[in-house]
Amino acid sequence: MIQVNNLCFGFTTAEIFNNLSFDIHQGEILSVIGPNGSGKSTLLRLLRGSLKPQSGEILWDHIPLEKIPTPAMARRVAVVPQSSATPFPYKVRELVAMGRYPYRKNFLSFENKSDLQAIEQALVMTDILPLAERSVTQLSGGEIQRVLLARALAQNSSVLFLDEATNHLDIDHRFELTELMLRLNREQHTTIVQISHDLDLAAAISQRILLLTEHGNIAAIGSPQEVMTAANLQQIFRVDVKVDSNPFTGAPQIVPLINNSTHQLNGLKVHLICGGGNGKTLLRRLHMAKANLTAGPLNQGDSDETTANVLNVPVVQEIPFSPFSKNTLATAGQFIAQTDVLVVTTRWWGAGNLPCLDLAEKAIQQGTAVFLLSQQQDQDYTGGKAWDKIQQLQQQGALPVRNEEHLLDELEKLTAA
Amino acid sequence: MNKAQKTSGRSLWQRLLILSPLLAIFISLSAGNMDISWDRLLTIFLQGPGSSIEQVIIWEVRLPRALLAGLVGAALSLSGVTFQAVLRNPLADPYLLGVSGGAALGAVTALTCGAQSPLIIPLAAFIGALVALLLVYMVAQAHTCSSHTLILSGVMVGSLAAALLLFLLWRAPADATRQAIFWLAGNLSLADPDWLSWGWLWVLIGFLLLWSQSLNLDLLTQGEETAADLGLDVGKTRLILFALAGALTACAVSLAGLVGFVGLVIPHICRLLWGPGHRLLLPFSALLGSSFLIIADAIARSLYAPAEIPVGVVTALLGAPFFLFLLRRKGDYL
Repeated sequence: MIQVNNLCFGFTTAEIFNNLSFDIHQGEILSVIGPNGSGKSTLLRLLRGSLKPQSGEILWDHIPLEKIPTPAMARRVAVVPQSSATPFPYKVRELVAMGRYPYRKNFLSFENKSDLQAIEQALVMTDILPLAERSVTQLSGGEIQRVLLARALAQNSSVLFLDEATNHLDIDHRFELTELMLRLNREQHTTIVQISHDLDLAAAISQRILLLTEHGNIAAIGSPQEVMTAANLQQIFRVDVKVDSNPFTGAPQIVPLINNSTHQLNGLKVHLICGGGNGKTLLRRLHMAKANLTAGPLNQGDSDETTANVLNVPVVQEIPFSPFSKNTLATAGQFIAQTDVLVVTTRWWGAGNLPCLDLAEKAIQQGTAVFLLSQQQDQDYTGGKAWDKIQQLQQQGALPVRNEEHLLDELEKLTAA
Repeated sequence: MNKAQKTSGRSLWQRLLILSPLLAIFISLSAGNMDISWDRLLTIFLQGPGSSIEQVIIWEVRLPRALLAGLVGAALSLSGVTFQAVLRNPLADPYLLGVSGGAALGAVTALTCGAQSPLIIPLAAFIGALVALLLVYMVAQAHTCSSHTLILSGVMVGSLAAALLLFLLWRAPADATRQAIFWLAGNLSLADPDWLSWGWLWVLIGFLLLWSQSLNLDLLTQGEETAADLGLDVGKTRLILFALAGALTACAVSLAGLVGFVGLVIPHICRLLWGPGHRLLLPFSALLGSSFLIIADAIARSLYAPAEIPVGVVTALLGAPFFLFLLRRKGDYL
């Protein structure tokens, strides 16, 4: 529906786009993402016709943009800007009514019946009917954004451009607006092009994502799964992220790896015996503290296993929902033999994972430091076998630690030594 | 206060203010050097024009004067409303874009060249105003530039004109300088009454054309890009509005010199009372602006009669406190 061919554009001081080409499909939700200064807003303004390209063409339904008259263009596309500060105290309803401008029939008024209906509907859909008689100069940032969206809705266009429209919104209205966008897209087949900084939300709702580089080139365009890869994001945003998938929607979800670690383990080799989610946070913390991690044995599909995979931690795997086989335990034994430290974070002991404690015993015999993280007697479901073994391990030199903080302190001491 | 009360309160104000120019004219007719009581005024008025001294004073001196004040007040208010909306700046007034400087330069040039005819000075002021506006428009390439650039170019052209003006005054003989100062402070006694009907026609047409742009003005207050996004041809509209506001200002300036304050404050008072929508704002600004200047002129004529205070002094002395009072009552309206 919108075609961009060999678009070139730059401001006097800097070139932004050089030979940009892509399509926007009818009825899709396309999110434009990219670092600050990559020209996201500029691209939207070029597509709208607010800026003129130096060369190249933009076609709307095969018609060159510059051939479409101004009011006709406003009936095709509505823009929700980032913000709008006006010094004039219009009422909310008056401002929303301005969305009817491209349909006006006479000089002095917007208001025929269909206009009034469209205005009312827009007020209701954005949940600002109670604000209708208030002055826009008295509204909060989030309220103003909803007013601007309502004005765009009143325009009744088949395409909606949103420039970070959910920026100032609280989580409730952000979700409401997102649902509203999806509803418009589903029921009225509105094509939506949005600039978003909320990458997770963009991934969750978009059919396609356009990722721009810092210099306004297309780094990737395609489905969220294709575009939102850790490699792409690391390259473009220069941040350490992992891409997981949202457990509820299955959409790509970004896990920021902001290093807030208070400990430094400088490549200390640590093996983790975990499972059932007991090792998730510790895996992350050890990864941040720059430990050289391995883990296992773990059943495939165990949430600890998923976390370890996201963090690229080598794992000794066992098939799902099965006790650990001899082979698996042997492989784990080899992993442990090469490590400096073994940490047992498993809390719940049953027949399936009891052999792991034997691995720990072997490690002690090999002279590897073994830590037992907050073990409790009442978490033993083996009729006392596991607890006895734990007591035994402690007598052999395994060190019990109270919590993760305590463990990291101990590990750091070990690193220093 | 519930909504119904609020609306009815507003409509009462509206009805009263539609009549305000008539009341203002009446006050103006009774004010002046010669005392004429209210009931006497009514009889003379009903008698129509005639040769008695009272008839001559009312019909041939005071009425044209009041109508002139009304014309100038309406033109300046309309122009002020327009400039404030187009420039999105509540401090804008009809003189912001160099119009005052250009008009003054034109008028004072004519004065210092010894022109005394009531025809030449207004004409020179009119041309000066339009030249200044055209210059600003061309320098700023106003169909594409931002309002900040436009304002800055206006201020620059204005400064240039002011410098030339000071130079002219420095060189001029003393009596021409005195006359020029009188003109610069705004003076309704200069105009030739023959121009009155032409002036009113000019203002009426200007008002109707501006009024037809009400929705466009509303859109422009939201910024150029938003206005364009909503389907307005910003460049063309801005040129039209500029031409209209400039023509109204030039008309007012050429007839009465630089009457200050009206074009700045009347739009604000009207926005406080009727909101920022231009459909109501334009007609009420015209009505209130004309009433305000008629009354201000009546006061200027009668306070030190037979001498006249410059009317600009009265507009500011009267308008500023009233505006501050309104601001205090209505709170932070911008």
